[in-house]
Amino acid sequence: MKQQNKGKNTNTKNGDGIIVLKNVIKKFSAKIVLENISLAIEKGKTTVVIGPSGCGKTVLIKHLILLLRPTSGEVYFKGQRIDNLNEGQLNQIRTHYGFLFQGGALFDSLSVTENITFPIRQHCEIPDWNQVGELVKSKLAMVGLDGFQNYYPANLSGGQRKRVALARAIALNPEVILYDEPTTGLDPIRSDVINELILKLQRELNVTSVVVTHDMTSAYKVADRIIMLHKGKIIADGDADFIRNHPHPIVQHFIKGQVSDDDLAVLRMSGTMSQAQFLPRDFEQDL
Amino acid sequence: MIIGTVGAKTIEGVNNMGRFARFAWQSMIASFRSSISPCTYPLIWTQMNIIGVRSVPVVMITGAFVGMTLAVQAYDQLAGMGLEEHLGVLINISVVKELGPVLAAVMLAGRIGGALTAELGTMNVTEQIDAVRSMGTDPVRYLAAPRVLACLLLTPVLIIYADLMGIIGGYFVSVVQLGINSRAYWDFSASGVELWDVSIGIIKGLFFGVAIAVISCYKGFTCKEGAHGVGQACTEAFVASFISILALDFALAVIFKAIYNTFWQIKSLV
Repeated sequence: MKQQNKGKNTNTKNGDGIIVLKNVIKKFSAKIVLENISLAIEKGKTTVVIGPSGCGKTVLIKHLILLLRPTSGEVYFKGQRIDNLNEGQLNQIRTHYGFLFQGGALFDSLSVTENITFPIRQHCEIPDWNQVGELVKSKLAMVGLDGFQNYYPANLSGGQRKRVALARAIALNPEVILYDEPTTGLDPIRSDVINELILKLQRELNVTSVVVTHDMTSAYKVADRIIMLHKGKIIADGDADFIRNHPHPIVQHFIKGQVSDDDLAVLRMSGTMSQAQFLPRDFEQDL
Repeated sequence: MIIGTVGAKTIEGVNNMGRFARFAWQSMIASFRSSISPCTYPLIWTQMNIIGVRSVPVVMITGAFVGMTLAVQAYDQLAGMGLEEHLGVLINISVVKELGPVLAAVMLAGRIGGALTAELGTMNVTEQIDAVRSMGTDPVRYLAAPRVLACLLLTPVLIIYADLMGIIGGYFVSVVQLGINSRAYWDFSASGVELWDVSIGIIKGLFFGVAIAVISCYKGFTCKEGAHGVGQACTEAFVASFISILALDFALAVIFKAIYNTFWQIKSLV
């Protein structure tokens, strides 16, 4: 389909991005979750992956760091093929990444300081623990939580947990940060705090970011490029204006948050609420 | 239809066995590497405290009741034949060789195995294990190996506690309650229970400890989503650990009997 809308199509299928997926297919049993995905993540840019729940966004982002391996296809990081490496070799590659999980995935049994120093303790010789303390302080200051060093995850709010998780994700100064639904479950103000943090990290650390979200406010705010996934396929790929003006009805329904005519028809066919619900008197009559 | 279902279940079973065997092998390798890497000792020490120290009371209570129950049950049969002074041999050999190790291990499978599976299962469903991997760390080495090592090292020690309390419990009921002569009780016990009997009970503890830890960690790592998934994994971990303890006990009894018949009796000739 020829695109005639405004904005720029930034599809770099066969480009030389920092992370490249080539013809990636992912199946869980017989279910195809990713269908022949090819894309290149550009260095130093923020790429946002949008799409309805269950379309394969999280599966896609986990393929970028090989937390999931493709059923077929290839994954490259800085030109090196990584989908065929063993876990030991991948662990070295993964130190170049930071990953913010949907729920934060902080370790419950460790304090904020211990969570942030976890990757440092695993990969670095630590001659001076005072330096580590300073590092934790600076990372927490970056996400606006200096002073929370001795807290445990259970004592933090949802937004604070995500910010601590972000501080942990940047502990090793990664080249790539992957965000899985960073604003899900947060109120609009906390969501905006996270969006500002993503932009701040982008500005100050010049990292490559990949954000998976279905929050369009967040997507428009942080994205250099937006990719829309639908049923495991990329159906739109371009900058924010390109996506806003995209002619595909599924894209338009999604970005405007409107239910499609087909879905409405299914809802109308499935009966009325009064037919579906049971009232106490229905049971009383039986008795 | 039936053939297809049976075939699919068989293939799934073989796949699961393969995955478990690979996990067990990775755990063994990771445990060996952790045991020679001083930077992982604090993790092992923490697990030893959780797994070992906090299990001492329940294991001691288990051992004491085993000894006391044996004394009550066996007294009438032996007294009927006028052999009540041999009660010590019966109780002590049963406790140190079979019942102490097996029942202590079953108790540990419930206490430790359930806790390990629930902890790792929750970490799995809240993506904490993926978080470990995403930071370039092997979760088997970081999470499973310290637990396997702690179980390997401390299950034999806990079995010694269970044996000790079983012996004391048996003595208490036999001598204090049932009035058997104390000197005769110990003399017959000493003549009937060899170092070999005590040793194999403790050696069994090494195998039981590894089985409990590896099965529980595997079930936690492969736990399905949600509260139901974690609960199901805990149940499966206990059942699998329990069956493994009984199967290992049988296999080790056969092996140790063969070793005893071949080598231990030569000792008296030397």
